[in-house]
Amino acid sequence: MSDKPEKLITDDGLRLDGRRADEIRPMKIEIGVLSRADGSCYLEWGRNKILVGVFGPREAHPRRSQRADTAVIRYKYNMASFSVEDRSRPGPSRRSIEISKVSREAFEPVIMAELFPKTAIDIFVEVLQADAGTRTAAINASSVALADAGIPMKGLITSCAFGKVDGKIVLDLNKDEDNYGDADFPVAMTQDGEITLVQMDGHLTPEEIKEGLELVKKGCKEILEIQQAVLRKKFETPMEELAEEAAETSNTENEVVETGVPLEYASEVAVVEEVLKETKEFEDAVSEEISEAGAVTEVVPELDELEEIIKEAEAGIEEETIEEAIESEIEEEAEKEAEEEEADFEASFEASFEEVSEPDEVEELEPEEADFGEEETGFESEIEGFVEEEPQPAEELQVEEEAGIEEAASEETLESEPEVESEAESSEEAPAEEQVEAEEEPVEELEEEKCEGPWKVVKDPSESGSRGEKDE
Amino acid sequence: MSEIIATLKKDYIYNLMVKGKRQDGRGFKDFRDLKLETNIISKAEGSAKVTLGDTQVLVGVKLQTGTPFPDSQDEGVIITNLELNPIASPEFEPGPPREEAIEMARVVDRGIRESGAIDIKKLCITVGESVWIVFIDVHILNDDGNLIDASCLAAIAALMTTIVPNEQQGIGMNVPLAMKEIPVGVTLVKIGSKLMVDPSRDEEAVCETKLTVVSSSDGSVAGMQKMGSASFTEAEVLEAIDMACEKAAELRELYLEALVKQE
Repeated sequence: MSDKPEKLITDDGLRLDGRRADEIRPMKIEIGVLSRADGSCYLEWGRNKILVGVFGPREAHPRRSQRADTAVIRYKYNMASFSVEDRSRPGPSRRSIEISKVSREAFEPVIMAELFPKTAIDIFVEVLQADAGTRTAAINASSVALADAGIPMKGLITSCAFGKVDGKIVLDLNKDEDNYGDADFPVAMTQDGEITLVQMDGHLTPEEIKEGLELVKKGCKEILEIQQAVLRKKFETPMEELAEEAAETSNTENEVVETGVPLEYASEVAVVEEVLKETKEFEDAVSEEISEAGAVTEVVPELDELEEIIKEAEAGIEEETIEEAIESEIEEEAEKEAEEEEADFEASFEASFEEVSEPDEVEELEPEEADFGEEETGFESEIEGFVEEEPQPAEELQVEEEAGIEEAASEETLESEPEVESEAESSEEAPAEEQVEAEEEPVEELEEEKCEGPWKVVKDPSESGSRGEKDE
Repeated sequence: MSEIIATLKKDYIYNLMVKGKRQDGRGFKDFRDLKLETNIISKAEGSAKVTLGDTQVLVGVKLQTGTPFPDSQDEGVIITNLELNPIASPEFEPGPPREEAIEMARVVDRGIRESGAIDIKKLCITVGESVWIVFIDVHILNDDGNLIDASCLAAIAALMTTIVPNEQQGIGMNVPLAMKEIPVGVTLVKIGSKLMVDPSRDEEAVCETKLTVVSSSDGSVAGMQKMGSASFTEAEVLEAIDMACEKAAELRELYLEALVKQE
């Protein structure tokens, strides 16, 4: 983690990332990014990357979780282990359980769950990259994903945090501001400004809270517009046009490339895509020629020779050019001659190694292309990773169902949090063990400071030494 | 904690609310009878029991030495755990903590941590090597509503009476735990359009939503958490903060400041 910057707000009132106090980070939302989910959303907010899948209303499992008069809303916030600087231990932490609970409660006032008794509406949040404010980002994404899934809602939920940094109230904290600021105050609200989530840690006076809530209202309004715009774009398009579009962009790779480009490089996307396209075309042309000419391996030793010849020729050209330039002081002539020379040379070796000279160029281009390729596959694997993880809860539930035993659930949770038992036992029954634990625990904690150490139950990363959500 | 509550009872509580009354005759800003006992578990370094109406919460503080976090090498560690004991309610079950327990523990922890209640720098024994780890274990013994406020109160009272067992480690005399602040949590429930403090179990069951505000002695807020599945208006949030700060100041004066004088 970087050290505390001297100032989080510069003298001219700008924050470290160039925002003013009342500005949110740039946000990008895409919907319908997961084909198997009923509704889905990918959201980038600053450097946060969140993927949400919504399933349901579907039959609630286990059946004892069903409610006769309403749907059960389940919200699972999960951080990918690679989403933070120090790897976080996979699986639910105390922090993620708390966030899941308050986020679910943020949605309960607007989801019309009473329309779907005995069912479950599942909202699965995967934080792929975390940079402060993931719970608010996740709520914004979930809201859109719920709408994408067609779940009846009284309105969208938007969420944004304010905080205090260098004594000033600012909107939407970034990582540094979250780590070194004085307070963090996440809020979620309905379109009508009803507050459905309030959390806070830090130090704020009631007046500062009032000021902050005004800022949050402004931030939420901006976010709402982004959310609505995305939904309109998808659902206002006439069906024929959609079908045409689908036919045109049936290549899924293109979609992945789009989502894979981080927001901050959005402007470069066009250029990159153009280069990629050109490279591809060129490569195709060359590979055709190569295949016509025969085996590529034979070319390699000759290539070296060629390069030497080229170097020699170039050296010759340069010398001549300079000499002539000095003698006649007519650059054009010199260039012409040089060009002629070069042309002659090229002609001569093209004649002999026609198909060889071009692969040389291809080799130069390839590394560049490889870079983009990596970026592309990088995101792809993230998505794949998530998609693979996704069905897990369902599997768990199936296991429970099959076993038909309630204990299955508690056993499972026990397995994932064995520390609970050991902690409780040791403190109540075995003081000797306690002593041993005390010596062991902190060591492990060092290793897994931001993960769930052996004190999963009693301690979690966000509660450690420094301010609140240090692992966001 | 979804105990089935009769519609009749719900209506009854609502109707009372409209008349500005509560089931047990209290005003909206009145706490139930509160009793605070400290130093009741001699094996613990600090302990306190809060009885709020029929709600009973016991907090024990244990101190152990351990290694500090890499990013705060000269600071002690605070660890808060909350047990919803099965003896406290027919709804509580043995097993790993449920989300309610985790949430409550984290709210209690947040209040203590963010208000800077404990002078954690003074818990350092050797920089980077050895510090005191403060375990705050909250045991709910009987659930009759408003567990959070009782837990916050018991936790801070237990900490204020905690003795750091330096002698046990051979590093000098036993000293009281260094405290800098007295955070007090006050929970407000929203029933209809009214806010009231210290909800009983029935009121908690029928309320739309709750807001816990942990405030410090200077009137600033150190932690907040909304619980429950309805919404607040902005005005209600601000009103809740004012009410909570006011009640917190009262509780602090009545029950906690006496503990400081004892030292």
